[in-house]
Amino acid sequence: MSTDALLSVADLTASVDEKTILHGVNLQVAAGETHVIMGPNGAGKSTMGHVIMGDPVYTVNSGSIIFDGADITELSCDKRSRAGLFLSFQAPVEIPGVPLSSFLRASIAGRPGLEMRGKEFRRRVKELAAQLDMDTAYLNRELGVGFSGGEKKKVEMLQLLLLQPKLAILDETDSGLDVDALSVVSRGMDAYRSTCDGSLVIITHNTRILEHLDVDRVHVMVSGRIVREDDASLIPWIDEHGFESFEREADETADAC
Amino acid sequence: MDALKIKQASAMPAPTWGWLRMNDTAIEIPAGLERARAVTIEADEDLTETHASFEGAVEKLQERLDAVRADAPDTRACVRAAEREQELLDDLDTPALSAYQLAATREEIAGDVAHAFETGIGIDARSYLNFLAGGTVVLATEEGACEQAIVRVAGTSGHMAGAAVDVVAAKGSTLDVVISLDGVADSSRAAGLIGSELRVFAGEGARVNVTVYITADDVFTVLDDAGYVLDEGARVNVRHVVLGGAHTYTGLASDLRGDTARMEIDTRYLAAGDDTRDFNYIIRHRGRRTFSNMDANGVLTGTSKKVLRGTIDLIHGCKGAEGSERETVLLANKGVDNKTVPVILCDEDDVAGNHGATIGHVRPEQLFYLGCRGLSQEQAEALFTAAKLEDAALSAPDEQIRANVIRLGSALIEDFADFEEEIA
Amino acid sequence: MAKKRTEVADIDRSLYDFKDSEEGFERLDAGLTPEIVTEISQRKDEPAWMLDFRLKSLEIYNSMPNPTWGPSIAGLDMDHIVTYVKPNTDQKADWDSVPDDIKNTFERLGIPEAERSYLAGVGAQYDSELVYHNMQDTASKMGIVYSGIEEALHEPKWEAIIREKFMTLIPPTDHKFAALHGAVWSGGSFVYVPAGVKLDFPLQSYFRLNAAGAGQFEHTLIIVEDDADLHFIEGCSAPKYNVANLHAGAVELFVGKRAHLRYSTIENWSKNMYNLNTKRARCDEEGEIEWISGSFGSHVGYLYPMSVLAGRKSKSSFTGITFAGAGQNLDTGCKVVLGAPETTATVETKGISKGGGIQTFRSSIVATPAAEGSAATVSCQSLMLDDESRSDTIPSMDIRAKNVDIGHEATIGRIGDDKVFYLMSRGISEEEARTMIVNGFANPVSKELPLEYAVEMNNLIKLEMEGAIG
Repeated sequence: MSTDALLSVADLTASVDEKTILHGVNLQVAAGETHVIMGPNGAGKSTMGHVIMGDPVYTVNSGSIIFDGADITELSCDKRSRAGLFLSFQAPVEIPGVPLSSFLRASIAGRPGLEMRGKEFRRRVKELAAQLDMDTAYLNRELGVGFSGGEKKKVEMLQLLLLQPKLAILDETDSGLDVDALSVVSRGMDAYRSTCDGSLVIITHNTRILEHLDVDRVHVMVSGRIVREDDASLIPWIDEHGFESFEREADETADAC
Repeated sequence: MDALKIKQASAMPAPTWGWLRMNDTAIEIPAGLERARAVTIEADEDLTETHASFEGAVEKLQERLDAVRADAPDTRACVRAAEREQELLDDLDTPALSAYQLAATREEIAGDVAHAFETGIGIDARSYLNFLAGGTVVLATEEGACEQAIVRVAGTSGHMAGAAVDVVAAKGSTLDVVISLDGVADSSRAAGLIGSELRVFAGEGARVNVTVYITADDVFTVLDDAGYVLDEGARVNVRHVVLGGAHTYTGLASDLRGDTARMEIDTRYLAAGDDTRDFNYIIRHRGRRTFSNMDANGVLTGTSKKVLRGTIDLIHGCKGAEGSERETVLLANKGVDNKTVPVILCDEDDVAGNHGATIGHVRPEQLFYLGCRGLSQEQAEALFTAAKLEDAALSAPDEQIRANVIRLGSALIEDFADFEEEIA
Repeated sequence: MAKKRTEVADIDRSLYDFKDSEEGFERLDAGLTPEIVTEISQRKDEPAWMLDFRLKSLEIYNSMPNPTWGPSIAGLDMDHIVTYVKPNTDQKADWDSVPDDIKNTFERLGIPEAERSYLAGVGAQYDSELVYHNMQDTASKMGIVYSGIEEALHEPKWEAIIREKFMTLIPPTDHKFAALHGAVWSGGSFVYVPAGVKLDFPLQSYFRLNAAGAGQFEHTLIIVEDDADLHFIEGCSAPKYNVANLHAGAVELFVGKRAHLRYSTIENWSKNMYNLNTKRARCDEEGEIEWISGSFGSHVGYLYPMSVLAGRKSKSSFTGITFAGAGQNLDTGCKVVLGAPETTATVETKGISKGGGIQTFRSSIVATPAAEGSAATVSCQSLMLDDESRSDTIPSMDIRAKNVDIGHEATIGRIGDDKVFYLMSRGISEEEARTMIVNGFANPVSKELPLEYAVEMNNLIKLEMEGAIG
């Protein structure tokens, strides 16, 4: 395991409404690496992304999250974002009354190296929109309100490219079902890898999204625990066999306890 | 000259407890203002060269309504209560009505469109605005025509100015009316007043779209008073964008008289500093299968105060009608005061009425999303404030109004110029 | 095709319309003067401060206008209302010594049975005096005091406490009928639950108005000290007369730190009653008040229990149902003041109107600047059973605090034809289907009503919801 990890999650236990969802999870991601977290529905994969990002809904009971050399376990999510962490959502939340462009401008405001003057900002955003094949009319529309599935994904990818995080967690649990969304995400990931050279953590239970992607490590999560970690060769194996054997193992371990 | 006060303005039809101080408002007209001519109306000649009148249109509607009026005696309990001379307990099957219920029942019995006509702020404000305007401009469309008009009131410190406009949209016609109530304070920062009085008759199947932008600086008192009568199948969309003004009063009353008439109102407001915002909406459903929707979305910052009264009145006979209202308010500062009274009055069973209000801070899931993009709670609230102005600028009906929004925005928000440069 | 609409019947109040002879009862002259007020006080042998309080209240009463926003009270002629009727019996300690005619009334309402199986104590008020009072030994052994408030006023220990609290939550200046109450109040209950005492069965008081043209002005004062717990049930009904009756009671509830009080009421006054009742609770830190309120009877009703959340993290919940039938105008709802940080309030009400009846939901949620971090939700649903009835919803919110969450939802409508059709397509008759839907509508509230505790209430709900079918 690399000692100079960009993200280091150690023995992380987290709960919601007194129900423990993550049980002592460990995860190390080095700079520039691409990791995949896979697992069946309800395994706690999305929770993991949210806890790393600091969703106040969850309580961290024990363990730590170190990012870029600093302990961020106690930081609020806006500070984690400004530290260079990014979490994509299945879809942006709807915020009526807030045009997408106003929101984007606020999100880069005060970020060294990213803050842009009016016209420059508009040009940059239009450039990225073109790269993602997104209609620029959406920039004047209210965030998330009445956007199609594909447009919602584009909004998320646009932010990924605009904010240029050091590490992006892409929660794509449902994207595998939608061909349009899938292609948007693939395009976004390619652009991110080629322009920012940041780390990627992709959360999915569908391997299609991983085609054409150089995956460094695969983590399999079952019932809130990482039960297997391996290189990219695990992906075709999972494709063929699914998660059943991992689930069985997890059950047996649980029984043995 | 003593300051003039318009009392019991913007009164909601069915009052509640007086101690809440929400039932109505008193509008103070700043003292010592000079009357100014500051109104311009941009419209095609075929709109203004007309013999149609609001009164004439109402009268014709009245004739049609009277012709089909049922003469079967109405023996409903409320009618018996309204018609009896004295309240006696011998008749325990007749309820004791409240003052409002009594007036409403009498109004219903009379069935008089002209008499029932009302505007949101009320008769005194209407008289005052008509006096300010000096005369009423009538904008009337021909059957099936498609027209546009822009009314601009440009206030200045130390002055008062108002427009009075009647809109008569003929059968099947479409009319877009934009009203810009703007006022620029000079270095004296002396008070000023601007206003507009609007009466709209939307004929059978007509479509009328009214957009009002209030972008006055914070020395102005602004009155936007309107009354609507909708004939069968008429559709009216109203957009109220209230961004500036020290004290603003927005009042709208609508009589959905004809069957299947539709009224939609979208209100966006921002109050900063020690601004006050007062809204009074009254939607009377009288026709069958009429529809109304009110949607208000606002942000209060500084030590601003706001009252929104929204009344949906489902009157006996409006079978199949649907009325709804919703308000979302963000309280972005400690010292604000937000009052909301979403009223539904219902005298008919085959109807659907609903209202909802969400008052408070940015919702947790929104806050988390914005947090993930690097915005703290304070920054999120600032975003909502800025967005009100930016959204208004992006959707402004024309360049002049957009410039007004940007002028106001630059006064309210430090780096608003950045946005100005971006959209320029 | 003409559609036949099934009627859901009014409550059959004739069941309650029996009255006892007024023979042997003392009556005061009609009209309200300082002399009458003084006489009331003297007859009760009250402390001087109470007489002063009454006379001041009378002055306030005479100077205040009638409410203008609610149902008309023109049918009330205060000059001719006998405000005080003294029954011919003193307080009794056991059921056997209660006069037969009065006992009959209670027998017919099923009170003794209910008491035997469920009730901890029954304080029954016949006209203005407490005539029957009983309490289970267990409660008194726990140190709980449950007595007539006039009786308590004669004990120095309680007099001091009553003097400190009496009409401080509902000052006579609050409104005209609070002032009237202050001047002529008579009878009512006093409950004191010491710190840490939790009573796991409810106390019940049963009021009944009997004399024609008489007003009832009972005062209920309940103090639940820190960490204590109480459920109090109040039921009201009155027989029918052709002279207007007035009920202007007052209920003041003091809920201590971490204490809990559930206050359940069924107001089922006869149809000539003007019910202008005032109820208010104050909660200290983490204290909780639960209101369960059913309003059925009365010609005119004004009833808005109010919660003042004065302590951090205190809570209020209000669950209410109002049914307005022919001839009734019931203006009900609640008021909440969020007056401290992190307070929470929920309001859930159901209103039904039929037969030309009028039902208004009126509420206020006020959050003071101190209420940071507080939350309130209001949900109000109204059901119209025919097209000649009326249902108004007049809620209001005044929010002056930051970081609050205030939600409000209200809907109004009738029974959906689709629902009736759906049930009928499953073989249920139209009558049954409609009753089922009305039942379902009322269920979230009626399940909270203490039906088990009083047969009368049970009868009411049943009669109302099942109606005359067919």
